Amino acid sequence: MEFKLEAHRIVSISLGKIYNSRVQRGGIKLHKNLLVSLVLRSARQVYLSDPCPGLYLAGPAGSPAVPPPPPSPQQQQQQQPGEPAAGPPAGWGEPPPPPPAARAAWPEPEPQPQPQPERPAAPVTGAGDAPRGGEVEAAEAAWRRVEGAREAAEGGAAGPAGGSDGFPEGPRGARRQCGCPPGAEDRPGAPGACPRLACCAPRPAEDEPPAPPAVGPRKRGAAGVGGGPAGGPASGSSPLKKPRRNSEEQPGGAAAAAAEEEEMETGNVANLISIFGSSFSGLLRKSPGGGREEAEGEESGPEAAEPGQICCDKPVLRDINPWSTAIVAF
Amino acid sequence: MNEYRADIISTVEFNHTGELLATGDKGGRVVIFQREQESKNQVHRRGEYNVYSTFQSHEPEFDYLKSLEIEEKINKIRWLPQQNAAYFLLSTNDKTVKLWKVSERDKRPEGYNLKDEEGRLRDPATITTLRVPVLRPMDLMVEATPRRVFANAHTYHINSISVNSDYETYMSADDLRINLWNFEITNQSFNIVDIKPANMEELTEVITAAEFHPHHCNSFVYSSSKGTIRLCDMRASALCDRHSKFFEEPEDPSNRSFFSEIISSISDVKFSHSGRYIMTRDYLTVKVWDLNMENRPIETYQVHDYLRSKLCSLYENDCIFDKFECVWNGSDSVIMTGSYNNFFRMFDRNTKRDVTLEASRENSKPRAILKPRKVCVGGKRRKDEISVDSLDFSKKILHTAWHPSENIIAVAATNNLYIFQDKVN
Repeated sequence: MEFKLEAHRIVSISLGKIYNSRVQRGGIKLHKNLLVSLVLRSARQVYLSDPCPGLYLAGPAGSPAVPPPPPSPQQQQQQQPGEPAAGPPAGWGEPPPPPPAARAAWPEPEPQPQPQPERPAAPVTGAGDAPRGGEVEAAEAAWRRVEGAREAAEGGAAGPAGGSDGFPEGPRGARRQCGCPPGAEDRPGAPGACPRLACCAPRPAEDEPPAPPAVGPRKRGAAGVGGGPAGGPASGSSPLKKPRRNSEEQPGGAAAAAAEEEEMETGNVANLISIFGSSFSGLLRKSPGGGREEAEGEESGPEAAEPGQICCDKPVLRDINPWSTAIVAF
Repeated sequence: MNEYRADIISTVEFNHTGELLATGDKGGRVVIFQREQESKNQVHRRGEYNVYSTFQSHEPEFDYLKSLEIEEKINKIRWLPQQNAAYFLLSTNDKTVKLWKVSERDKRPEGYNLKDEEGRLRDPATITTLRVPVLRPMDLMVEATPRRVFANAHTYHINSISVNSDYETYMSADDLRINLWNFEITNQSFNIVDIKPANMEELTEVITAAEFHPHHCNSFVYSSSKGTIRLCDMRASALCDRHSKFFEEPEDPSNRSFFSEIISSISDVKFSHSGRYIMTRDYLTVKVWDLNMENRPIETYQVHDYLRSKLCSLYENDCIFDKFECVWNGSDSVIMTGSYNNFFRMFDRNTKRDVTLEASRENSKPRAILKPRKVCVGGKRRKDEISVDSLDFSKKILHTAWHPSENIIAVAATNNLYIFQDKVN
């Protein structure tokens, strides 16, 4: 348990660093962000490999989910290629860059699970792969449009999975993508809830950045789940779009960080990321709607998690101090 | 922690004779010190270094296309060997390298026909005689002029520059690319290393330092954030993405932690003067490698291993990202590198002895002998020892330099420069 908390703490610290790197003079330092993303990855590995029944989602049969063994280093290597997200880099030419962590989510292609047989839902992850790529690109496209005019920017990924819209969508979208309906049904045959959550987890991170435009349609509270990613106009985004503009310039750190977030295969983390996401979008928007968005996001985060796949109860969530500190910071 | 001070020294470098010592700071300034000529009257007093020239090398810039501010901090200074009366040095910030000429002027022409003493034009009608202008002595003036500006060649942040032994070319390295320049040509450079992946999401390492071989103008090394060093030969191909030699030490699995990757990132790489060895600095150690042996270093020195248990705190306060440099002495027998609390360390490669010294005004008066320091790692702390928890991590010595032939060292402690010399008996 201590390792888990330590890993949590390190992840929150790392996210803070990536976020702060946006405002540092001289632009984002690729090297430092790369190193931070590597730490995130290590923390994630520990987090996944340290079973803690209290924090894991119970399976449909009521049996506690057992997390899959962490990927081997080689797989990790593949999974977390690293950085520089293709997302709009903070400071690399896009005026108000989205929080790096949020952005980072996109570029990272869905790593793994295929190599690990014990990971459930190969089809799920498979499904995740495509949409993720699409989501990433869509997200990136969304980012670029954010500066411009928003709206249909739609959270980018109107991918098959449904896309990354606002954060609240994220987890929901992810779940949908994975075939885990909000009703939280287990996939028959899936080894456990956790693995599925894994594929769900990344989405929220992805969804964070595109937030801004069209708060209304995207926000989608309850409708979101069913509505799928394209909250409204979003569906216009092609998941296969390849917004690579300035992708070269992106500092990897942010991307890597987001990727790390995506990889976190635990529901409570997904919830927290969705909370972060909404916080980010609120900050980004800098509009009266932002605050509301933030509030909604935070509220909907845990709520979103609850239906079906409760990875951790609200009280547990609140009690994890490093996370709350991080949220406050953001 | 991130308080901005323009006078924080960011690089220190002796020239090839040791007569000049250049420092660059965060504010983009270069200050050059010159060693006094030793006086025959005072043989016991070695030449001291006094300020010779000060100039603003780089200014803050703004890249409007990327909405990116470019820091004026001088990342590196490298001297060119002296070929005439003037001195030349390269200084670089994150994006632009500049060649500066530092020259003395101690005479000025007087007696122009068409201009008066203040430089104003004279009315030709008033000129009745012609005279030849003469050079008259004046107070010594040292002027620095930018002779070349090598810009717009780096997308990422420049971390190294290195002058080639042919004295005609030099290289500049950023996180992902290394470019080769000719001193005479500023509008183009050759890209000789490019490790940028086609898909940036697959990036796993960056270039952290690079240096030309001191004698072989075709060879250079570059280090990576993964703790590896590559030796490249420019004769092999135009793009030196494939290395000639690859130096890497297998990781010790017992030391694995969250921060293993960060602490294995190499912050500096330096060829020995002989050209036979390279020295690398990572967060906790200094390693010496033989160019003929790629699978492990021949020597490893612990700089401050007591920090290994504190990596998490050092990660939180960002100290784990500090980039320490390392230097050889003139004979390659001693290596030196910095640490925290204004400590710096010297390792004698022959005797295997090491010493920890401190650069601070409180603890040393001018011409006093530096007292060795010791860090207590646990248990009883002896008098004069300092415990790990009392170390001041805001006082870090990242940049040091060693005179090319004498035992004179320059140590930059934040915004102060300390110059230590061997005591002459």
